[in-house]
Amino acid sequence: MRLIIRDDAAAVGEYIGNYIAKRIVDFNPTAERPFVLGLPTGSSPILTYKHLIKLVKAGKLSFKHVVTFNMDEYVKLPEDHPESYHTFMFREFFSHIDVSPSQVNILNGNAKDLIGECNAYEAKIKSYGGIELFLGGIGEDGHIAFNEPGSSLQSRTRIKTLAYDTILANARFFGNDISKVPRMALTVGVQTVLDSREVVVVVTGQRKALALSQAIENGVNHLWTLSALQTHPWALIVADEDATAELKVKTVKYFKSIERVQEEVEEMHARLKDTPAEPDQVGSME
Amino acid sequence: MESENGLICFTNCLLPLEDGSLVEQDLWIDERRGVILDAQRTFFLRRDRPARVIDLGGNILSPGYLDIQINGAYGFDFSVFDGDHEAYRNGLRTVAEKIVETGVTSLVPTIITQEKSLYPALLHLLRPYSSPNSATMLGWHAEGPFIQMAKRGAHASEFLLKADEGLATFEKIYGAENLVHQEDWLMACEGQHDSLGVRIITAAPEIAGVRPAMEEATKRGVVFSIGHSIASTDIATAAVMGGARLITHLFNAMPQLHHRDPCIIGLLGASPHLSFLPPTSPTSPVGPTFQSTGAALSRSDSSTSLAKRALQAHGDGGAKATSEAFDELVTPPQTPILAPIDTDLHLKKGETTRLSFERPFYELIVDGIHSHPNSVRLAYSAYPEGCILITDAMKILDPHLKDGVHEWRDGKRFVKEGDKLYLEGTDTLAGSAVTLDKCVRNFSRFTGCSLGEAIKCATYNPAKCLGIEHRKGTLRPGADADLIVLDRKGYVQSTWVGGKKVWKRQALRI
Repeated sequence: MRLIIRDDAAAVGEYIGNYIAKRIVDFNPTAERPFVLGLPTGSSPILTYKHLIKLVKAGKLSFKHVVTFNMDEYVKLPEDHPESYHTFMFREFFSHIDVSPSQVNILNGNAKDLIGECNAYEAKIKSYGGIELFLGGIGEDGHIAFNEPGSSLQSRTRIKTLAYDTILANARFFGNDISKVPRMALTVGVQTVLDSREVVVVVTGQRKALALSQAIENGVNHLWTLSALQTHPWALIVADEDATAELKVKTVKYFKSIERVQEEVEEMHARLKDTPAEPDQVGSME
Repeated sequence: MESENGLICFTNCLLPLEDGSLVEQDLWIDERRGVILDAQRTFFLRRDRPARVIDLGGNILSPGYLDIQINGAYGFDFSVFDGDHEAYRNGLRTVAEKIVETGVTSLVPTIITQEKSLYPALLHLLRPYSSPNSATMLGWHAEGPFIQMAKRGAHASEFLLKADEGLATFEKIYGAENLVHQEDWLMACEGQHDSLGVRIITAAPEIAGVRPAMEEATKRGVVFSIGHSIASTDIATAAVMGGARLITHLFNAMPQLHHRDPCIIGLLGASPHLSFLPPTSPTSPVGPTFQSTGAALSRSDSSTSLAKRALQAHGDGGAKATSEAFDELVTPPQTPILAPIDTDLHLKKGETTRLSFERPFYELIVDGIHSHPNSVRLAYSAYPEGCILITDAMKILDPHLKDGVHEWRDGKRFVKEGDKLYLEGTDTLAGSAVTLDKCVRNFSRFTGCSLGEAIKCATYNPAKCLGIEHRKGTLRPGADADLIVLDRKGYVQSTWVGGKKVWKRQALRI
């Protein structure tokens, strides 16, 4: 796992935006071989979305051959409700980029057969050959998607009851009326996220500090579902300084040092790539 | 250039919302059906997104303006009909085609008091009418003939009428077919398949028979506007309770605001608790508060009310043109007292009791001439939700027309000085020559309100008054894609009707 630390949330958004853009461009997606991207909702990814939109509008990035899968959606909340994740994704992201509506996938919380809906979602992800990169955020209790504390770390897309903490946290979006907050959601499972080839998680703000420390400084634990990321071969967490408040100095220093090394390695690779593949040039790493 | 799938996305623009705010947001329209789309539904349910994206460079994308009182434009006078139907229709078409340059995409042609035999045919000609590439004619606004002699303004005194038989008189004058129930009227409007149309009558509620007639007409979907009237507060209030929902060109052709009897203007300050009042039915042409007016000045002169004096002063015939605003020197003796109400008073600061009494909408001619800027701000501050901007423009409305003397009709002539327009040889204002987009700009300057709030007074408010806000004057999904692009100074850059661009500013404004 890697942890990248940036000064503030805006810098985190810009970093991840550039990171994802680079992954998509390098992947060189086509209609036959699209880039499959997993996407979250919530306040954390908004700045990332804003940066991606900027790149699209500047003509530096296109979602024409990108297929997206969202993490979750409330159950029985009308699709056009201002707080539905359909509305969120359209308002914050999809309306501003060039993605085709036919390539966008969000769980249908109003489906008659909710279990069938979840199984079909997993099947659809598989039909695309799995998710290339899953972007995520975390809750204050360390949940990823709606995989609340106690969720099985091998869970797949399913119906989930929201934790009381989450309902309380979401009440502000429903006129501070707890009774109006949906109690159930459909969500991809922890294992669904882990199955993707790469996972990138946004963690910003002091309120997420404890969750970040629990997820990376202690063992894998279903009470902090993000900790399952420790078992993923290609995971990246990008945090701002505020979110590191509960981390040990040692942890922060370690990850900062890896970042420097990583940069060197990436530079080296870039030079390798730019150089014509002639045998006598391969060894040139200066 | 048509979009590949018929959908257009306007981006990089500010949208004026119904609460007067301006938000940075895209707008999707269907140019083939000519309607505004619910973008999110189009994306998720129809699985489509616009093939054509138009970058508005930070400009404002507003619903097209509605002008609900306009007498003519571009040389055509809606009130002049010589029996040639074809010529009249051509005149209407000319106005509809040209007026889009002023940001107006819907208008209600207004006819001033006519010789009575002309009404049935004229109103028939003014049935709703829309054609591609031009503004929509929403129906008609009949200003007169049931108006007050003393406040007739430029209306011909010999044509003014009373409605002694109430609705029957109305039907006789306007033509029964023009006053039928809204659905029947719309059904009868041949070629008008989308059933949208409005009828407005400006009348003086103190004229005999007007209130009972309007009460019936209102039930049939006609909008009753109080105007050219000397109605006292009591009569004006009773008219509102009887269905009046509009005041014609506030401040003009009505008594000035008197604090003890604020008359029609005072409706803007009417208490929401008025709904608790027992229904009053003032029978005298002037209200009880005026009955004792004379007594305040001279106890022996108790029969002379303000209104009667006004009538006497101006009742001597129509030869002399009347000043729009004559001075009343009479002071009514007492303020009417609301009936005592024995209920708890509410305790929420900043909130107003919600009761059934709704203040009427009111029209303002914001040309800087018909009302002083201070008066405009005063009215707007009193009741912002009711404010409707109109031009009340005469046929010489034409942004390209020069100042000077112009022919009107019946041998009379106008003098145009900028936006000022009066009968030659008098100081009587005779409508205006201001364009509605200029009114919006003036309004924002006069009141200090935002451009979004000023736009609301020329879009949402008039549409709401007429009950057509689902189709006109808003950006709601399903509403007609009648749109204007404004720069941040409020100048129209382009006009769209039914999803098609019908006008574009040619040269850059310097």
